[in-house]
Amino acid sequence: MLLREVEYARPATVEDAVSLLATHDGARPLAGGQTLVNVMKARAAAPDVLVDLADLDELRTIGFSSDGLLEIGAMVTYAQLMSSSEVDVARPILAEVASTIADVQVRNRGTVGGNVCVSDPTNHLPPLLAALGATFTIRGAAGERTVSADEFFLGVYMTAVGEGELLTKVSVPPSSGAGDGFAGVTIGKHGTYIVDAAATVAGDNVAIALGCVAAAPVRAAAMEKRLAGSDFSEATVRGAAEGLGETLDPPSDVHGSADYRRRLAEVSAVRAVLQAAGRRKER
Amino acid sequence: MSTVTEQPTTTLKKGYVGQSIPRKEDKRLVQGQGTFFDDVRRHGMGYVHFVRSPYAHAKIVSIDVSKALELEGVYGTITGDEVAIHTDPFFEMSVEPGGNIKDYALAVGRVRHMGEPVAAVCAATRELARDAADLIEVDYDPLPVLVDAEESLKNEVVLHDDAGSNVVWSGVFDWGDVDQALADADHVVKIDRLHFHRFSSTPLECAGALVEYDKGTGEWTLTCNHQMPGVGAIWMAPALRTGIDKLRFVTHDIGGGFGNKICLHPQYVVLCLMARKLGRPVQWTEWRTDQHTANAHGNERTFFDVEVAVKADGEMTGFKVRALDDCGAFPRYEPLGCIIWAQVTPGLYGWRNIRVDFTQVCTNKSPVSPNRGYSRMQHLWLTERIVDIVATELGLDPVEVRKRNYVKAEQMPYETPNGCVYDSGDYAAALDIALDLIDYGSVEARRSEAASRGKLLGFGIGSTLDSGTNNFGQSTLLNPDLQFSGNNEAASVKLDIFGEVVVTLGTVPQGQGHETTAAQVVADILGCSPDQVNVRRGHDTWFNSHAGFSGTYASQFAFTGLGAVKGAAELVREEMIQLAAAVLQAPPDVIELADGFARIKDGPEEAALPFMALGAIINANNAFLPPEFNPTLNHRFVCRPYFGMVDTEKKTGQLTLTYATQIHAAVVEVDPETGEVEIVDYAAVDDCGVRINPQIVEGQVHGATAHAIGAALSEDFVYDEEGTLLTANFYDYHVPHAMDMPPLKTGAMESPSPVAPLGAKGMGEGGGGGIHCIGAAIQDALRAAGGAIVYTSCNPPHRVWSMLQDPEANSAHVEVVSR
Amino acid sequence: MEAPTRSRAISVEVNGEQIEMEVPARRLLVHFIRDDLGLTGTHVGCDTGNCGACTIHLDGEPVKSCMALAVQADGTKIRTVEALAADGELTALQQAFNAHHALQCGYCTPGMLMSATALLERNPRPTEDEVRYALQGNICRCTGYVNIVEAVMATGSGA
Repeated sequence: MLLREVEYARPATVEDAVSLLATHDGARPLAGGQTLVNVMKARAAAPDVLVDLADLDELRTIGFSSDGLLEIGAMVTYAQLMSSSEVDVARPILAEVASTIADVQVRNRGTVGGNVCVSDPTNHLPPLLAALGATFTIRGAAGERTVSADEFFLGVYMTAVGEGELLTKVSVPPSSGAGDGFAGVTIGKHGTYIVDAAATVAGDNVAIALGCVAAAPVRAAAMEKRLAGSDFSEATVRGAAEGLGETLDPPSDVHGSADYRRRLAEVSAVRAVLQAAGRRKER
Repeated sequence: MSTVTEQPTTTLKKGYVGQSIPRKEDKRLVQGQGTFFDDVRRHGMGYVHFVRSPYAHAKIVSIDVSKALELEGVYGTITGDEVAIHTDPFFEMSVEPGGNIKDYALAVGRVRHMGEPVAAVCAATRELARDAADLIEVDYDPLPVLVDAEESLKNEVVLHDDAGSNVVWSGVFDWGDVDQALADADHVVKIDRLHFHRFSSTPLECAGALVEYDKGTGEWTLTCNHQMPGVGAIWMAPALRTGIDKLRFVTHDIGGGFGNKICLHPQYVVLCLMARKLGRPVQWTEWRTDQHTANAHGNERTFFDVEVAVKADGEMTGFKVRALDDCGAFPRYEPLGCIIWAQVTPGLYGWRNIRVDFTQVCTNKSPVSPNRGYSRMQHLWLTERIVDIVATELGLDPVEVRKRNYVKAEQMPYETPNGCVYDSGDYAAALDIALDLIDYGSVEARRSEAASRGKLLGFGIGSTLDSGTNNFGQSTLLNPDLQFSGNNEAASVKLDIFGEVVVTLGTVPQGQGHETTAAQVVADILGCSPDQVNVRRGHDTWFNSHAGFSGTYASQFAFTGLGAVKGAAELVREEMIQLAAAVLQAPPDVIELADGFARIKDGPEEAALPFMALGAIINANNAFLPPEFNPTLNHRFVCRPYFGMVDTEKKTGQLTLTYATQIHAAVVEVDPETGEVEIVDYAAVDDCGVRINPQIVEGQVHGATAHAIGAALSEDFVYDEEGTLLTANFYDYHVPHAMDMPPLKTGAMESPSPVAPLGAKGMGEGGGGGIHCIGAAIQDALRAAGGAIVYTSCNPPHRVWSMLQDPEANSAHVEVVSR
Repeated sequence: MEAPTRSRAISVEVNGEQIEMEVPARRLLVHFIRDDLGLTGTHVGCDTGNCGACTIHLDGEPVKSCMALAVQADGTKIRTVEALAADGELTALQQAFNAHHALQCGYCTPGMLMSATALLERNPRPTEDEVRYALQGNICRCTGYVNIVEAVMATGSGA
């Protein structure tokens, strides 16, 4: 409940932040603190230096790139996603899912960047962004690069953001008539997920990403293939989900056995796909 | 000045009593001006952090505090070795061998549960104390871990060498003739196993204390949140080798207790030793993780080999059961849980032949502490499970079988097979109110409608009793050598020089509104408004307004607490009348107290004395009073409920005096694909006799229901094989938040208690009413999908899902033997 | 660019008063409020940011002060429960809590009031669902939330 001694800096620019992260061993960026501060309270991790990103206004914007991608700054909070007209127009599922994260207080501080960089398998945004085909822009001393979700989420608490680097934005394709869905089972209302699934149905194709079942979001590739060009009816979708559980090796814990999670993965995938299919706009 | 008598029962003429007046406590609390112990500062104080065992069971090989002592700002440390030198083990209540357990304030030589305090360090700031704790090096030799009560019974691994056995207490309770009842039965329903799980109320404010030691007088002052200081002192004083009056307990506002703040004496003794050793005030605040891991779980109880005798017409005549209670690493308040359930031996039902073979064992889990509903809840859950399972197996209607077997209103007061007397109540009527509130008639239609949406709907009833006002003599049924019997509570009322009415309580409220209800009672007796009555906040040993059992626990304030207030107020009232009569020169029988005056009834306006006048005379202007007339307007009264003696051979007696009823009913929808349970309708009906403040009573019903819903659907203290608690924080131990609560409908009845001073029974524990009805509703929902029988009291989604996948493997195994 | 430091001088407006203080980087905002400023109305109820007893307003928004560092509050405006009743006159919401018996032990109450006040400032007439949604981050173990929701709704409807 009480932190170890730590050093703190609050840089004014992204360059300064990157420089601080590169210079100091054991430096970690501090975004909303809704995970990191708890981790430090538990003394499960104890960075030597906290680089507070609060003053980096450049990371707080939501806008569109020249090719129409929805660009969300890493320091954008869940509350901002919920009140953004850009998000509402381009990809409302982001606001919809954000509105179920924990509670008002957490949503006022927690950030998109924090949610994805923690890469906790139970976090909401990793499977969602994986299904949406989002890309992640990382800045370091050497410059900037952009990676896919597959390349970004490497494992539990592990992402492509390396030492001395900072995630600056997440770019999400606009829906353009695609339907998005998200389903799962939580510990209590708006609690932590036990299993979740995100789905996007665009035209004849579907992308399905499962959370909580592996170290990083898992694409339900076989199910996606079976559903391509299908009628996305309930019977079809249920049929396509058969066997999905057997391809997974989920954890067993106090909230459910591996077997329970396998079955929940199937149920969640079906529900997410049906929700997404139902939301497709006429072309 | 002080009087001890038994209480005749009188009901007050209704004035403020019976009204839902807003609470006096609220003004300070809504402004954040409450004083909780962590808000209190003392000059030069140090902050204490406990070093706790990471092992569930291990020998302590060595403790090295030297590095911690080198840290700047650290004031000192203490370890188990020092504790063993400076204190004696805490008083144990059990017979041998359990009674031989040695329980010290810190682990001595061995740790027996994860999180057990092993050493303590005190430093200038909270953070420094925490840092210093990391520098204390403890070397452990792990030992085999026991996390299963049945394993523990084998005594292959023994937790306490002084006892030589893991059995804390064991005995058989046998009333009536259950063997004959089973022989005569038309059906015998056998249930092999039922399990009441481990959870607790987790009050939002954690435990703690600020302790000061006065070297000159050898007195300690504990500014703390202990909810039963009388008993706390009984444990601590002998351990500290000091007199009981050397421990001054001071409480202010307390952020919830629910029984979880009764067994704080080990940590408090450490603080006392440190305050004395370091010569400065020391403060300890428990963290949430510590509270979950190492403070106060509710008793975990497994019931085996239940056999129920049932007649063809549905009358249940008796049952027998073997109960195995898991009290964790140290008994402490146990083995009282081994008898307290017997306050409600037959539950709400009329069966006369009951045998309970009860054993309590230690395991390497957190020690238990009385938790809201303490021990009765576990037993009542058993009786409700029995009734539901019998109904299911024999195709009986759950409402009809209850009404057939409930103790009837005409039978009240009703003596149970073991000599307890249910004072009043009409269970069938309360059940009808509950059924009406949830529109029972529509359940089948709702079941079909839910099915069309792919959901399984179920309905369940939970009947429960809040037995209140304990006879501590029941402890002698466990250990005849214990010197405890009866009960008591004290209060003082005085009229000050300026006419202020001041009340001090012996109780220790943690949110129950005692300041308000006490003011209501006093206002009616003295003829003033509750605003004129100042009820001092909290408990203070130096108020001298407490008795041996003082505290707030076990549903008894309305009887003993208010009984004491009533007694003291009546003594003051009598003197006020006599005094006014003397001043106004009129006979006492024409004097009335009303509107803040003592006046002649229907007399002239001048013939009225404000309270201030009376107070002034007694305190400052009393020369004219005749020598033989010596009113003080300052009285302490002890309410001593009358129980009679218990019979230690037959294990019978009046164990509690009042029995409040709560009947709960729930309608749930189960998602068969995920096992999630949603409560779609819920009703709770309470009958606690006369309600001093109906709004406060209803608030208690709401709160008890929320606790029950949490326990029934998500709150579970789960251990792995290494004795690690897997649910040590509010993420994994999910308690209901605002969106988790179903719409709650409440109803109330008043069956006044013939034995309580105000006709008001203690209430508030709720006895797990919700745990019973939700489990029953889940079982009902699952009848259409495999028919699993609910066997455990906590059914989160994964368990419900298991019951759907494999009903046989995940349920109580039931066998019916019919004639 | 400054080097990282173990402590920092912060300037924060608390309940309308400007506070300048040097604080350790590791100090939690809730401990700064309680221990350094002596404003003990804000409470600590858990270790993991779940219970909301520590809820305050930071730049007008409800946040959990146990999940923020004091140094992060530099340059911000903070409001705690002590700011609600100006000159001892209870707000309509505080009065409603009293009238509707929306508190028992009172430990969660400051946090509840801060969350509910923020809701009513944005949404003067919330529905029951909106009230529960706004209070989802505040745990109460005494009341079952029934009367709390009722009190907030009553304040909203001007009752």
